[in-house]
Order: sequence, then C-alpha cells, then structure tokens
Amino acid sequence: MLDKILFLLCLASALADERCMPDTPHGFQVRLSIKTALGDEAYVWNENEMFLFRASLAFAMRNHMNGQQFEVSNIIVCNETMRVSFWFIVTSPLDTSQLIDQENVEAAIRQSRNRINSAFLLTDKTLEFVDILPTLATLYTHPTPPWLIVFGVVMGAVSAGIIIMLVSSVVQKKRKTNRKPQDEDDDEETRVKTVENGDAHDGIHNMSFSEDERFTKM
Amino acid sequence: MEKDARPNWDSPMQFVLACVSYAVGLGNVWRFPYLCQMHGGGGFLIPYFIMLLVEGVPLFYMELAIGQKMRLGSIGAWTAISPYLGGVGLASVVTSLYLCLYYNIINAWSFWYLFHSFQSVLPWAVCPINANRTAPIEECERASPTQYFFYRETLNISSTIEENGGIHTGQALCFLLTWVITYLCVVRGVQSTGKVVYFTATFPYVVLFIYLIRGFTLHGAVNGVKYMFTPKMNQLANPTTWINAATQIFFSLGLGFGSLIAFSSYNQYNNNFERQAITVSLINSGTSIFASIVTFAIYGFKATINYENCLERTRILLLNTFNLAEDTINMDNVFEWIEKLNATYAEQFNEIANDTGNCDLEKELATAVEGPGLAFIVYSEAITNMPLSQLWSVLYFVMLLLLGVGSMLGNITAIITPLQDFKAASLFLAGLVCLFCLLLGLGFTTTSGNYWFTIFNDYGATFSLLFIVLIEVITVSYIYGIKRFEKDIEDMLGHRPNWYWKIMWVAISPLLLIVLFVFYIVNYIMGGTPTYQAWDKEEGKSVLTEYPVFGQVFIALLLVSSVSCVPLTALYVFCRKRKHGKAHKQQHALNAVSA
Repeated sequence: MLDKILFLLCLASALADERCMPDTPHGFQVRLSIKTALGDEAYVWNENEMFLFRASLAFAMRNHMNGQQFEVSNIIVCNETMRVSFWFIVTSPLDTSQLIDQENVEAAIRQSRNRINSAFLLTDKTLEFVDILPTLATLYTHPTPPWLIVFGVVMGAVSAGIIIMLVSSVVQKKRKTNRKPQDEDDDEETRVKTVENGDAHDGIHNMSFSEDERFTKM
Repeated sequence: MEKDARPNWDSPMQFVLACVSYAVGLGNVWRFPYLCQMHGGGGFLIPYFIMLLVEGVPLFYMELAIGQKMRLGSIGAWTAISPYLGGVGLASVVTSLYLCLYYNIINAWSFWYLFHSFQSVLPWAVCPINANRTAPIEECERASPTQYFFYRETLNISSTIEENGGIHTGQALCFLLTWVITYLCVVRGVQSTGKVVYFTATFPYVVLFIYLIRGFTLHGAVNGVKYMFTPKMNQLANPTTWINAATQIFFSLGLGFGSLIAFSSYNQYNNNFERQAITVSLINSGTSIFASIVTFAIYGFKATINYENCLERTRILLLNTFNLAEDTINMDNVFEWIEKLNATYAEQFNEIANDTGNCDLEKELATAVEGPGLAFIVYSEAITNMPLSQLWSVLYFVMLLLLGVGSMLGNITAIITPLQDFKAASLFLAGLVCLFCLLLGLGFTTTSGNYWFTIFNDYGATFSLLFIVLIEVITVSYIYGIKRFEKDIEDMLGHRPNWYWKIMWVAISPLLLIVLFVFYIVNYIMGGTPTYQAWDKEEGKSVLTEYPVFGQVFIALLLVSSVSCVPLTALYVFCRKRKHGKAHKQQHALNAVSA
C-alpha cells in the first residue's frame, strides 16, 4: 500500500516538473534516518510527513528571503526512495518557471536548520541535507579552564604540606638544642656529686683485703 | 654513641611495601600485556616464570643482601666490597639520575589528564571544531580525538626532533607539581617515604580490582581476554620470546639502580630479607599478570566497539548507496547483504568496494600497543566509551600517578642515600637534587621534548643496567667471593643460603646476563640507524624517522657515560693507591734513615 502511494507521488511530481531530478544543479538531496534516531518510537513516513517537510522548507525560505511569500506548492519533491531520501527544488513564488538558486536555498536551510530538525524530532546527522555542512556547535569554553582550578587546589595543598614539614623539623631541632644545655647542666651536677661522695668515702685503703697480684704467689 | 644513627624503617612491613611500590610501576601495566600478546598469550607465562626463578629472584636477593649488610648506599656499599669497583655504585647513581630526569614527565602527563577529567565532556572524547564551525579540526579528523589530545594539546609536539618551540606552560606546571610532591615524600628520608608507601603500594591494587570488575562487565571484554589467554605455543620456539621474558623480569624488578641497596640499607641487621625478596618478586609478577587481564578486557571492549562502529559505517554506506529502507540491514546481516549487493549491482558496488568488507574483529584485537601510547591513548579511548567516564578517568589516572610516584621514590632514594653517606646529612640535599632534576627536566616539556623522552626511555637505562648488574653479580660471586657472601648472609639471617641460590649467583645468572648483553649489542648494531616515531601533523599518524647525527651522538653519550664510570673509577683508585703507596714508601725510607 505504501509502495503504491509512493509510486503515485513520484509519478505525480514527475509529471508536474521535469526540472526536479537527481543531481539537479538547483536542488538538494535529503536523507532521513528516522528509525536510527527514534528506534521504537519511529513514525511512519507518509504523504502527511512529506507535506510537513515541504511546509517547513517553505517557512525556511520565507525567513531567509524577506517579503517573498513561499507556499507549499513552491517546494517540488521527486525521486522518493525506500531509504526515505528524495530530491527537492524550490520555485520562486512570483514566477513558477524560475528556480531559486542553490546558494539561497542553502543559506535558508542553514539559518533555520534547528527548526526544521525539531519539527521532525531529528538531528543534523539523521536529517541529512547532502552537501550542506551543518554549523557545528562549539563546546562551551570556560573563562578559567577547569584544569587550572584543580591544579591550583592540589598545588596549594602540597605546598602547605611542605611548609608544615619544614617548619616542624626546624621547631624540633630548636627543641633539641634547648634541651641539650639543660642536659649538660644535669651531667655536671651529678659528676660534682660523685666526686664529693668519692672524697667522703676515700678512706685508707686496707691492703690485707686487696687481691693485689703484684705480690708474687707463694 | 653514634652521633647520626642510621634511620630505620618503622617496621619490616614498610620496607616490603616500599620495595613493592618501587618494583610495581608503569612497566607492569604497559609493557607486560604487550609482550604477552606478541609472544603467544598464555604461553608467554612459561618463559616469564622460568626467568623469574632463574634470574629475577636471585639477583633481587643479592641486592637486598648487599644493602642490608653494608648499611650504605650503592657507592659506599660497592666501595666497601671492593675499592676498585666503587664505580659500579657510581654508575648506578648516574643511571638513576637519568631515570629521575625523564620519568617524572610521565607523572606530569598523568596529572594533566587527571585535571582534565573534571569536565562534563572529557576533552579527548570529541574533536574540537575549527574556526569556520563547519567541521572538526583537520588533524583531529585524520587521527582520532584521543591521539589529537595527546599529541597536540598535551605535548604540542613538533614534527621532528630538530624543530623546537617553547615550553608548554601547562606541562611545565604539572611537572613542577610532580617534583614538589616527590620532594614532599622524600624530605624526611625514610620517615616520610615509609608513610607514603603505605598508600602508593596498596591503592593501585584497589583501582585495578575495581577496573577488573568494570572491565569484565563491559561489552565485548571477554573477546579480549580469550584472545590473550589462548596460548600460541609455537612462539616458545622463538628465542626472542625468551630474551624478552628475561629482559622484562630484569627491568620490572628495578635491579641495578641502587634503589634496592638504598632501601635495604635502612633495615635492621637481622631482618629476614630472604623471605621478603621472594615475596616482593612474586607480588611484582602477579601484578603484571593481573594488570594484563584488566588491559585485555579493556582491549576486547575497545576492539568490539571499533568493530561495531565499522559495521555501522558500512551499513549506513550500503543503505545510502542503494537507497534501501533502514530496517532491511542490521548489524548481523551486513556481510550477507554485501555479498548480495555485490552479486546483483556489481558496478555500483565496485565504486564503494574499498570502504566495505574490511571490518575485522581479529585485526582490531591484534593491534597491540605498548608504552605511553597504551596508557594515554588506548586506555583513554576505552574510558570515553564507558558510562560515567569522568569517574573512571579519575580513578585510572590516580592509579597511574601512584604507580609512577612509587617508582620515582625508589630512584630518588637511590641518588640521595649514597650522597648522604658521603657528607653530613643536609636538610637541603633532597631539595637540591629535586631542584636540579626539575630544571633539567623542563627540557622534556618543550615541543620536541617527547622525542628526547623517547631517547632517554629507550637508551638511558637499558644497556647500562645490564652492564651494572653483570658486574655486580660477578663481583659478588668471584671478587668478593661467594664463601664470604655466604658467611655475611648467615651472620644476618642465621642460616646459610640454599645451594640453589649459590648456583644461580655463581653460574646461571651471570651466564644469562651475558647472553642478554650480547643480544642487546647485536640488536643495536644490526638495527642500523636508530629510529623514532615522529608525529606527522598532516597525515595524522606517526612516521618512522631516523635520528639526526646529534641525536645519535647523544645516544652514544648516554650509553657510554654511565658504563664508563666503572673502568674510570677503577683507574682512579688504582692511581691513588699507587701514589699513596709511593708516599708511604718514601715515608718509611725517611723513618728508616732518621732512626
């Protein structure tokens, strides 16, 4: 059933305008990948969808060429395939024998690309205008690169760590040198004490109890 | 009482963790999986383990024994063993210095990637747009976003080693940060290093484990692991397999740098290093295998994604060329349709024949990469395809950092310890060494810096280490004497080393090292002019280029400078002894005359 409709459409449009054909110098090829984009929620491509397409293209032309009242009949479509791809050309609303040149059509599509895409719930990749390069969105550039911020944080933490280490080792050294003079004072006192004690106990050495081996053994 | 008692590790566990942290480094992650793949997957484990038993563990044991016995850094230790061979220690220090110069740049890259992971879209996932906003930047399109980010935004690489631009400021900042962190870890010697290694040795395993789980749940990971572990036994007949296994064990354990001697010199005299040597070597090899399982899971995932992307591209191409409805071809019947369409519409098909039919999963799996390319290009590409990629990216680069910093600590200690033995320990010695390496290493952050890095990486430490360890093992076995060495070990451990160790030290290991040494020299000579991979901006890929004359001269200088320390020092000591001997004789003669 779908095939018959498509065939009739092709026939109709072919009968209508021989200027529309593949590789025409005045038009573009369009390719839709509905199933890739929407998966299970994909809609069926039928003549109503085609009407929407022609209407949105007419809208794009009106936006671009101010004043000229493009109608759906000004957008001529031909060579529809099962892929869902087709060619289209645009006629001028003032004189249907005249075609709008490619540059104007391209500019118009470029300008309203987003609107056309969203009418079909598709993206630049899935609603493809062959030979019209999409204007790619640049990534958001931050005023300060985020990596510099993280770097600053880590660097600050590490520097703080080093300063703490150095300061604490200097403080420890100072504590040691403060304790050392105290220790030396203590040593002197004990030595003085022992000397005193030694004097007190230094009596007469009783030779008989000494085991002096300087005397020869008997 | 000693004024400056030698500092010690707080516990034997700290020492073991320090050795593990040092030995388990980036090579386990980016060299071993490559070798495994090149030499027959699971079959490579056989030569690997044989070499571990025959060469790895005995040499590791020997270095730990020397350090613990002599209680000095490498220069002091070797001078004590044999005054003429103090040059071995000096050569170790020089080689460690070369390594310290270039190794930290890898950590700088890890920091760079880590800091760039804190963005909603990872910068290496998409190509930046050109000025016209019509298409991605050309260089990025021809290469891939990950390659572009590495070569252009990280390195800003020039096209040959001769061309040089300025310093990449972002790189230089990250490089400064890595040296500041290294300084922080060694500023108090073993006290600070000992605490840091608790973290650097254990956290990488946590990350590897997380990645193992993540890896195995990835789509297509099993392809990679199956591919890796299917042993291709015919590779065992290839001598290169055995040579590569021996070389990998040798370099993976970090022998010859003097770091092991430095670490073990801070041990208690009676520390049981025999058990620790075996433990650390086994842990190191186990980690290599563990890391390669993870790597191959990631490989499998990446290969499957690439293969499916290729199929998808082919499918779209077929649909567009032949205007078929979208749901006629899906991923499973692409190849059937190719045949069908080729048969029915031969002419039309011929026009696109070049772009179809070349999607091959085996080919994707067979692309093996090693070195920084694996870590920073292949892995980052795989990460961009995972959900929650920022988290995985942060985890991964933190792991790389810890592995790298752990190895750096060992090498910095290998330089600082012998210097500290010579003069009074200065608080600023560590700082001076770090500052010196930082200033010289800034050269690696220039636009041609990566090519200089490759020179250092390929030639700075390889040949010299083989030479150093060969001299070491011959010295210990023959000049110092294996009997004396045995007695020293018995003194420390309480029992003599097994006959197995003695045979290895006296016969097998030196023989093996000589074979490796000869092979290395033969390879170098037969290889013709040394070449490197230069990044071609227009083509968007690496091109094999020969080194210019000054590059080759520099390589020769690198090789000669560390190796020549040994004969030069021996000569110097010999001359000094003769002078002393003469002076003594004169003195005796005078005394005899006067008396």
